[in-house]
Amino acid sequence: MSLAKSRLVIFALIAVLPMTLPSIAPAAGPSGKIIIFHAGSLTVPFAAMEKAFEAKHPGVDILREAGGSTKMARLISEVGKPADIMASADYVVIDKTLRPKFCDFNVRFATNQLVLCYTDTSKFAKEINPENWYQILQEKGVVWGHSDPNLDPCGYRSLMVLQLAERYYKQPGLYQKLLANRPEANIRPKSVELVNLLKTGHMDYAWEYLSVAVQHQLKYLQLPAEINLGDYHQDDLYKQAKVEVSGKKPGTTLTRTGQSCTYGVTLINQAPNKAGAVAFLAYLLAKDGGLKILADQGQPPLDPVRVPTAEMKAKLPAELQGLVQVQD
Amino acid sequence: MAASTVSVLLLVFLPLVQMLLSPSPGLLWETIRDKDVLRAIWLSLYASGLAALISLVLGTPFAYLLARRDFRGKKLLESAIDLPIMIPHPVIGIAILSVAGAHHPVGQFLAWLGVRIMGSVTGLVIVLTFVGLPFHVNAVRTGFTAVPERLEKVSRSLGAGMTATFFRVTLPLTWRSLVIGQIMCLARAISEFGAVVIVAYHPMTAPVMIYERFTAYGLEYSLPVAAWLIIASLVLFVILRWVSAAGEKRP
Repeated sequence: MSLAKSRLVIFALIAVLPMTLPSIAPAAGPSGKIIIFHAGSLTVPFAAMEKAFEAKHPGVDILREAGGSTKMARLISEVGKPADIMASADYVVIDKTLRPKFCDFNVRFATNQLVLCYTDTSKFAKEINPENWYQILQEKGVVWGHSDPNLDPCGYRSLMVLQLAERYYKQPGLYQKLLANRPEANIRPKSVELVNLLKTGHMDYAWEYLSVAVQHQLKYLQLPAEINLGDYHQDDLYKQAKVEVSGKKPGTTLTRTGQSCTYGVTLINQAPNKAGAVAFLAYLLAKDGGLKILADQGQPPLDPVRVPTAEMKAKLPAELQGLVQVQD
Repeated sequence: MAASTVSVLLLVFLPLVQMLLSPSPGLLWETIRDKDVLRAIWLSLYASGLAALISLVLGTPFAYLLARRDFRGKKLLESAIDLPIMIPHPVIGIAILSVAGAHHPVGQFLAWLGVRIMGSVTGLVIVLTFVGLPFHVNAVRTGFTAVPERLEKVSRSLGAGMTATFFRVTLPLTWRSLVIGQIMCLARAISEFGAVVIVAYHPMTAPVMIYERFTAYGLEYSLPVAAWLIIASLVLFVILRWVSAAGEKRP
């Protein structure tokens, strides 16, 4: 190669280089750590989203922490643990514990419903159906449980289903009769922990979210929409269920009123990585992004993803405005 | 040396003192009158005490064996006994529940006996023994190793049997390490949370209650329970140390 030719090659390279640069180093993509606190029941879809999002943005490292929604919210509000995003299994937790001091908005993005999970070896596994389940749960020797209503929304929702069943099946006293066959030892802090008890045969039936049943390949009994807390058109019916849970201090209680299972997500005001968090939220709330993963995992996304008021919508970051609509 | 002492004291005591001082006296008083709290602290001490006693009975002969005999696979056995210290605590709970489950022969045998592991004091004691036993065995083995085998041989040659030798020669020389083993085992058992919460959420031990209070009511109401558990443990351990020190003075 002559000197002139090699100069030409070098010149050509220099000329081409700037064109290839943008694809090598994206100008302003999200990067750094994004800390997400989320409900235990969102673990599987959020793990899948983490993988997909990190593959798309190699500079991002998503750190997830899962737990009862109330506890996770408390870690932010009381312990002051840094977090960018909080996703709750009950959007009310965000309103109650975090808004307006720790976050500005609360986007409802997905739904779920309560199902009664079991395995092949559960007692009466062959007979159970939507007409007789409440009789089976009263049988002596049938071990069933739910999560702690004071710690886990799935816990008080399980109790609400039982209350609604009392009305729906017209069985006065059913709620108390069912609880009489459920010793305290069958209560666990988080509903997901019951899965292990089912699989090891310590328990015959456990109340879980549909998503948990799908993700853990459990058998499950789907209940009528009037009692399964999965259909927000039934909210007027659900409202009749009321469960006492622990209040602000030991010995006090507050009342939880039945409502459809609606997931809420928010951006924490003190987010250490706001840009990254907003980018992840935009991915989570996109129909071909996080919402699709949720649908595959038994947590049907809401269509459209919504906030209750125009005032709240105005507080959303610009990147999310197009994804969220105002709808009560 | 002074710097080392100061840093150790700060590291250990600063968080503990903070923990004891943060709840208001009124709240501390209110907490200790709460029957659930008393029950949880008592259950913690009681189940841990049982676990320590079981470790004493089961672990002491085993520790003696490790200290006195050499055999093939001893190193492996010695490492194996330390496993409960290394395994993540929830895994211990899951493992115990799996063995006791209806799909496992052991679980089926237990069910036939009418023994329930999930959510029972039996289950608690098994978990606490599992995590505490290595601490007892290790402390006691060290004690046995320190006794010259010569002394035991002399006793045997003078006509004492193995049991008599153990109780009249070995034990009087090593009982302090037995007490230390018990203290370590008890301490470990009282502090256990991860494995316990998987096997039994109810009945609640104190660490589980601290977690439950924190989750349901927040930091303010979990701190006083923690403070009382620390006070109760401290009193217990001071007594045990005092007993072992008093025994030392009159050999």
